[in-house]
Amino acid sequence: MVFQPTMTAAFLISVALLTQASPTAVEPAGILITRQLAESRGLTVGSVVKLATDPAGAHARLFRVDGIYEPTPDPMHFAQPQLDARMHLPDLLALEAGMPDERDRRGVTSINVALSDRDAERFALDVAARVPGLVARATSAPDDRTNTFIVVERFHLAIAIVTVVGSAVFLLALMVMLVDERRSTVGILRLIGFTRRRILLQVFIEGAVIALAGAAAGILFALASQRLFNGFFQWRYDTTLVFLRITPSVVWRSLAMAVPFGIAASLVASWTFLRQQLLALIRR
Amino acid sequence: MTPIVEARSISRVFPMPAGPVTALRDVSLSIAAGDYLGVVGPSGCGKSTLLHVLGCVDVPTSGTLLFHDRDVGSLADTERSRLRLREIGFVFQRFFLLPMLTAAENVELPQAEAGAPRAERRRRTMALLEYVGLAARADHRPSELSGGEMQRVAIARALANRPRLLLADEPTGELDQGTGEQIATLLDRLHADGTAVVVVTHDPAIAGRARRLLRMRDGRIVDEAPR
Repeated sequence: MVFQPTMTAAFLISVALLTQASPTAVEPAGILITRQLAESRGLTVGSVVKLATDPAGAHARLFRVDGIYEPTPDPMHFAQPQLDARMHLPDLLALEAGMPDERDRRGVTSINVALSDRDAERFALDVAARVPGLVARATSAPDDRTNTFIVVERFHLAIAIVTVVGSAVFLLALMVMLVDERRSTVGILRLIGFTRRRILLQVFIEGAVIALAGAAAGILFALASQRLFNGFFQWRYDTTLVFLRITPSVVWRSLAMAVPFGIAASLVASWTFLRQQLLALIRR
Repeated sequence: MTPIVEARSISRVFPMPAGPVTALRDVSLSIAAGDYLGVVGPSGCGKSTLLHVLGCVDVPTSGTLLFHDRDVGSLADTERSRLRLREIGFVFQRFFLLPMLTAAENVELPQAEAGAPRAERRRRTMALLEYVGLAARADHRPSELSGGEMQRVAIARALANRPRLLLADEPTGELDQGTGEQIATLLDRLHADGTAVVVVTHDPAIAGRARRLLRMRDGRIVDEAPR
């Protein structure tokens, strides 16, 4: 197992002071900066900048922009511009070394470690056993920091359930009205010899087609809305964060709810008439 | 001659909130192939109820109704539906055509339900529309037809599956006198072609064409006269 923090870890720091500097004889260390930072300060690859942890610019060091990257969107901070720079750990330590007060130094909260043997769970256990108080976990493991989003997701699920139930009641009422308009049609069909089962089968097929068409329309609308919503908010917050995503799972769940509900609503509405005596249907 | 339908002491009582209403009382009747029966009487005397019971639309509360010697009271709803589909044709005062279908489609529908092959039912549909004089209006919807034309389409539909018995409930009730005469002439032709016809009517001119005339009052047959 290999643990090479200086080579594999990248660190984020907030930029306290950033200015373009003239090239010097000493070769500055390389950094990566976010696209947002590059755009806001007019930086390009090769630009030499001064970075300092002190807001006043004390103990600033020179760095060269080696690359510009699109930051991974962070849902926790999407409303804040991502003006970040990444540098190697020794450069960060050197940058902070000049700070007079230990308390002013920014802490390193996390380090990503690439493992050659990929046994992250065992490595995490090993680290935790060797360094009490240090939390080590595989990146694939659930992240406690996402608890907020789990709560939000459950809240959305609750809203979705209420919406679906409300829609189902509305759909049932609509189908009752629709079938009521077809009361005489049902009466005529029964009169000329159609059986209840035959009419129910017809209603079942119609209900399935209508429900499928409705679900398809809803999914298409959602897909169109998805692009619209994402486009607007990505523009508004200058992020690549995806705010709305219609996944295959969402599509299948929608179909799994909409189609049975639609068919059931049709059948329940129709049965209210079919169970009546034929005379009651044609005498209206 | 073996009767198509035979009613033996049938009664029909409708339960109502204000108390039961007896629409038919102890009615016995037999209709054989080739019969042409007129049923007359004042409103509410049970004429239409009798027609509904004879046509297996309704079932008697007591007594026995035999259709080709089968007790209709013992038949399941599905079997009564099959009887209506294959053995009985209905013509009503209000036509009861399906408004979203053309005249031809209305006539074709019972044949399709009875399982007739498409080519055969199209041929028969056109033959029936020819029979009632409406071949040229085959593709018209009911809303594009006059009352008399709609009733002729209804008659063509009633004949779609070659029923042995045609039941007509006030078939000229919503038509003017001239159009009513046309419908009555058409019923005469049906009878002449071998279909047993039962007509419930208030119109003496229509009733006068029947070979047998039943007079009803208070749910009973009070007079039956061959003509």
